[in-house]
Amino acid sequence: MSTNQEKKATGEQKKVGIYICHCGGNISDHVDVEKLAENVKDLDGVAVVHTNTFMCSDPGQELIQNDIRDGKVNRVVVASCAPSLHELTFRGAIKRAGMNPYLYEHANIREQVSWVHHGDQATEKATGLVAGAVAKALRLQPLEPIRVEARRHATVIGAGVAGLRAACDLACRGLEVALIEKSPFIGGRTASLGRLVPTGEQAEEVITQIAAKAMANDKVTIYSCTEVVGFEGFVGNFRLTLKRKPPEEPYSAAEPQKIRMDHLEKGEFLPAAGIFPGDVPDKEQEIFLETGAIVMATGFRSYVPGEGEYGYLHSDKVITLAELVELIARYPDRRGRFLQVKGKPVRRMAFIHCVGSRQIPGIHEPDQDGRLNEYCSRTCCAATLQAAVQIRSSFPETQIFDFYRDIRTYGRGQEEVYREASRQRVTFFRFEPEDPPRVQKSSGGKFPLLVSVKDTLTFGEQIDVPVDLVVLATGMEPTPIKELVEMMKLPVGADGFLQEVHPKLRPVEVANTGILLAGTCQAPMDVGEACNAAQAAAAKTTAMLARGYVELDPFVARVDPERCKGTGLCREACPIEGAIELKERQVDGKTVVQAQITPALCTGCGICVAVCPSRALDINGWTLEQYEAMVDAIVAA
Amino acid sequence: MKETLRLQYDALVIGGGIAGLQSALDLADQDFKVAVIEKDATIGGKMIRLSKVFPTLDCASCITTPKMAAAAHHDNIDLFTYCEVNSLDRSQGRLKASITQKPRYVDPDKCIGCRQCEYQCPVYVPDQEQGGFNLRKAVYIPFSNAIPQLALIDVEHCALCGKCAKVCPTEAIDYFQQPEDFVIEAKTAVLATGFKLTPMDQKKEYGQGQIPNVISSLQMERLLAPHGPYQRVIRPSDGKEPDSIAYVQCAGSRDLSLGISYCSRVCCMYAIKQAMLLSGALPLADITIYYMDIRAFGKGYEQFFQNAKAMGIEFVKAKVGRIEQGENHNVLLRIEEQEGDGRVVRREHDLVVLSLGMVPDWNPAGICPVGTGDDAFIKCVRPKLAPTLTEMEGVFVAGVAAGPKDIVDTIAEAGAAAMEASNYLNSSASGRAA
Repeated sequence: MSTNQEKKATGEQKKVGIYICHCGGNISDHVDVEKLAENVKDLDGVAVVHTNTFMCSDPGQELIQNDIRDGKVNRVVVASCAPSLHELTFRGAIKRAGMNPYLYEHANIREQVSWVHHGDQATEKATGLVAGAVAKALRLQPLEPIRVEARRHATVIGAGVAGLRAACDLACRGLEVALIEKSPFIGGRTASLGRLVPTGEQAEEVITQIAAKAMANDKVTIYSCTEVVGFEGFVGNFRLTLKRKPPEEPYSAAEPQKIRMDHLEKGEFLPAAGIFPGDVPDKEQEIFLETGAIVMATGFRSYVPGEGEYGYLHSDKVITLAELVELIARYPDRRGRFLQVKGKPVRRMAFIHCVGSRQIPGIHEPDQDGRLNEYCSRTCCAATLQAAVQIRSSFPETQIFDFYRDIRTYGRGQEEVYREASRQRVTFFRFEPEDPPRVQKSSGGKFPLLVSVKDTLTFGEQIDVPVDLVVLATGMEPTPIKELVEMMKLPVGADGFLQEVHPKLRPVEVANTGILLAGTCQAPMDVGEACNAAQAAAAKTTAMLARGYVELDPFVARVDPERCKGTGLCREACPIEGAIELKERQVDGKTVVQAQITPALCTGCGICVAVCPSRALDINGWTLEQYEAMVDAIVAA
Repeated sequence: MKETLRLQYDALVIGGGIAGLQSALDLADQDFKVAVIEKDATIGGKMIRLSKVFPTLDCASCITTPKMAAAAHHDNIDLFTYCEVNSLDRSQGRLKASITQKPRYVDPDKCIGCRQCEYQCPVYVPDQEQGGFNLRKAVYIPFSNAIPQLALIDVEHCALCGKCAKVCPTEAIDYFQQPEDFVIEAKTAVLATGFKLTPMDQKKEYGQGQIPNVISSLQMERLLAPHGPYQRVIRPSDGKEPDSIAYVQCAGSRDLSLGISYCSRVCCMYAIKQAMLLSGALPLADITIYYMDIRAFGKGYEQFFQNAKAMGIEFVKAKVGRIEQGENHNVLLRIEEQEGDGRVVRREHDLVVLSLGMVPDWNPAGICPVGTGDDAFIKCVRPKLAPTLTEMEGVFVAGVAAGPKDIVDTIAEAGAAAMEASNYLNSSASGRAA
C-alpha cells in the first residue's frame, strides 16, 4: 500500500480535511464551533470542514473515513481534545480508510482553549491553532512505524507475591522469564504476614504455593541474592547486567541469629524471610541478560515511625502493626490467659490508625528525607481489625481500644471483619488529624502506658486509656529503588511510588515502552490486588512480545547527509546513550564522519536538532520546516 | 426449521462495560478471537454514562470512547449487542453459550445511523440515559457516542404510526423482526456483568424515590455531564438552581436493613468528585456530605479528599435517619450527628443526592454453574493468588461482577482475567487440563 499511497500523497494536490469536535459541550460551550469552521474553511489547501458532537465516536470517525475513501481529502486535521487522548484513535481510523496514518495533525482546542479561555478569545485562539495544524499538515510526509525484533524473554524484578505471580503467568504463556530477587529468599513481604483478610488463609500457605509453582517451571530462572546494576537497550531488546553475591550474614530481620543456608532445603519456608529457592552464591558473579520486557515488582516497606512518634522507641511497649502481625502469625499453640509481648501479658491494648499515612502538610512533620505520606495505605484498617478480632478470639479477657480517623474496610468481606470487631467489643475512639492521641508512660498504676485522646464520637470528651501495649498501624512506603529509577529513567509520582501512564485506564504501564508495573511498587494494595495487577502486567507483556516484534512510532531524529559535518555536538547533547553515534561514510570517494541514529533508542526529544549548527537534523513528523510554517500560520490567523 | 447459527471463538466475554472491553482487548492483543456479548443496545457500560472520573477529573466520555472504539475496530473482536445469554454450559472441553438476539425492529445490516427515523418519530418517552430528565423518541439511538450506531424501536411506546419506516432511506425498519437464537462456542469465558445501583425505592425512610428533589448519584452524573439533559445543574421539580445540596452517603451500602452489608467502595469518591464539580458549576452553592467514614483509599484519592475539604465542601459525620418532603420543594433531612453534641437535628436542602451503592446486575443461577457469595456477587474461589477464578472451569470474572470496584481496580482485574483466560487457552491447546 505504501508506495502507491506515497505517490498519491506527494504527487497529487494536497487536500486537507478539518474535523472539529464539540466534545459534548466541553469545547462548544466556549468555542463557537461553527464560526471556527467558517474561519478556517478558506485557508490554503483546505478541501472540507466538518463538525460533530463527538468526533471520536463511530459516526465522527466515519465522517473522516468517507472523505478519504471518496478522495476528497489526503491530509487530516482533527481539532478536539489533547492528542494524548485521541491521536491514536484518529490515526487508526485514517489507516483503516487506507491512508498513511501519519498524514494527520491534531489541534488541541479543549485543554489549550475551551478549558482555559472563554468567548471570542477562545474562538480566536482555536482558529490560530487549527490554521497552524493545517500549515503543518500540508508539509507532512508519509511515515512508517519502526519495527524492532523482540526477544521472547521477560525479566521480573522482585520476587514477592506480585513478582512470582507475574513470572508464573509469563512462563505459562511460553516466555522465558528471569526472576530477580535481592534477598536470598523469595516471597517478599507476604512471608511476614499471618492470616490474610478476609479469608483467614495463612499467608505462608499462599506464598509457598505460588513460589513452588515458579520454582517448578523450567522457563523461570530465579536469581536470588541478585541486583540489577546495568541497564541499556529498548523494548524488545533490553540488556541488563546483574550482580549476584553471597548474602551478608546474619540474615533475617525477624530473628537476628545466623541462618545456616547450607542446612536449608529448596522450597523450605522460613518465617519473615521467605522461601529458600535452592542455592546461595559462594562468590560474587556478574550476569548479562538480554530481555524483551521488564516487569517492576519491587514492592513496599513498612513505614518506620520516627523516634517519639506515639512513644515509638521511647517505650518498648509501643510496636508497629507489622511487628504485631509477625508475632501473632507464629504465636505458639499453647496459649495462656493473655498474649505475651516481650515477656509481659497484654491485658489492655490500643491500636492507633494512620501512622505514616494520610499525613497532612502543616500538621505532620516530614521525615529526614522530606517524605510526607499524604496517601492512604489502604490495607492497614482491615489488617488492624483482623488482628484485633484474632486477639479477642484467642484471649477473650484482653481489652482492645481502637483509635481511628476513618475505618476503611472497603474490600469484599472486610466490612464483616469490622462488624465482628464491634461485636467482639473492641472500643472505638475517633480523632481528628490535628488532635491525635498522645501516648505517655504512666506514672504508677497498673499499666505502663497511657493513651489520651479527644474523642469526637463522644462530643470531644478527653479520654485517658491505660494500656499494656500500643500498636501503631503503620502504612506502606515504596521500597527505595533510587538506583533503578535513575538507571532505567522510571517515572516516580509525588507520593514516591512508580507512576503509571494513566491512573485510571493504564495502571500497569509506565511511559517507558516495555516496562510494566506489578503490585505495591505502584501503590499500596493487598495480596489479591497485587496479584490482579501482576496478572494484568503479564497480559500486557505477553501481548507485546507474542508476535516477536514491536512497532514503535516513527517520530525520531533523522540526519541529512548533505548537511551533516560530523561535529559530534548532537552526540554530546543526546541524553540517551547509544541513540546517536558518529560513523564513517564514503562520500565521493572521501571518508567523512557523520551522525547516525539508532531509531529504536531515539525518543524524538529534539535536543540534537537544537544544537546542530548546520541544520542537518530533524525529527520525523516534527521538522523545523513544519514548525516554521505553523508559527507563520498562527501569527497570520 | 432454520438451523441455529453456531459461531466459534477462543474466548467469550459477557458484558461490554469497561471490564469486559478491557478483558476483550487484552485477549485480542494476544491474538485470540473474542466475542463480546452485551445486553444493552450499546457497549460502554456504566462508565460511558458518567460525567467525569475521580481523581483525575478526566471527562468519562473522552476516555471511554477510545476503549469502545478500539474494541469495535479490533480485528480479533466481534461485538454482539442487545443480546441475552440464556445458558452457558461446558461439554467436551468447550463452552457453549446459547444467546438470544433481541429484536431492534431495525435491520442492523441496513441501518446507517442517520437518525432520520428518530427525527420523524412523534412519540416522546423519558430518556433513562439522561436520568429520565429528558425525552427521547420511541425509535432512537441510545446516545451520540453509542457503539454500534444502530437505531432501535422501543415497542412499549411505539405507536406503530409508520413514519419511521416511511423516512428510512435504507428500508431498515422491520416491525416484524423476531428474537433470534444463536450459539457461541468458545474455550474460555470472562464474566464482566457489572452492577446496577441499589434500588431507590427500597428504603422507606429515604422516601422510596417519591420525593422529587431527591435524586440518585447517577442522575447527578447526568446533570453534571457536559452533554447532559439541561447542560446546567438545576433541580428537577421546578428548575431552580440549588443553593444548598446534600449528599447522603451509604444510601444502600453498609445497611443491614436492606440486606446490603458491604461497602460499595466508590460512593465516597464519586460524592467528593460531584461536590467538586458542583462547586465549579454553582460557585455560591453550599455542599454538604453526610458520611459514616470517608473511604478515600485509592491512589491519589486521599489527596483529592483533602482538596475537597480545602475547597470548603462541608463534611458532616452523621447518619441520615429520614428524608422528607419540605416546603417550597425543599428536602428535609433528619440526621443523627455522630460528632458535635450528638443530637438528632433537622436540616433543609434544595437538592439531595443519594449516594447509592452497587448490587450485581446479573445472577448466574439457572444460566451457568457459577456460585455467588453472601453478597450475591460472583464467588471468587482463590481471592488472593488468582482473584478472577470462579467455580466453573475455564470461566473467569472481572470487575464489579466480583464485588464493588472503582474503574482502575476494574481495569487491573480485567487484565488479570484476560491473563487467566489466555493461560487456560494455552494449557487446553497443549492438551493439559488447567
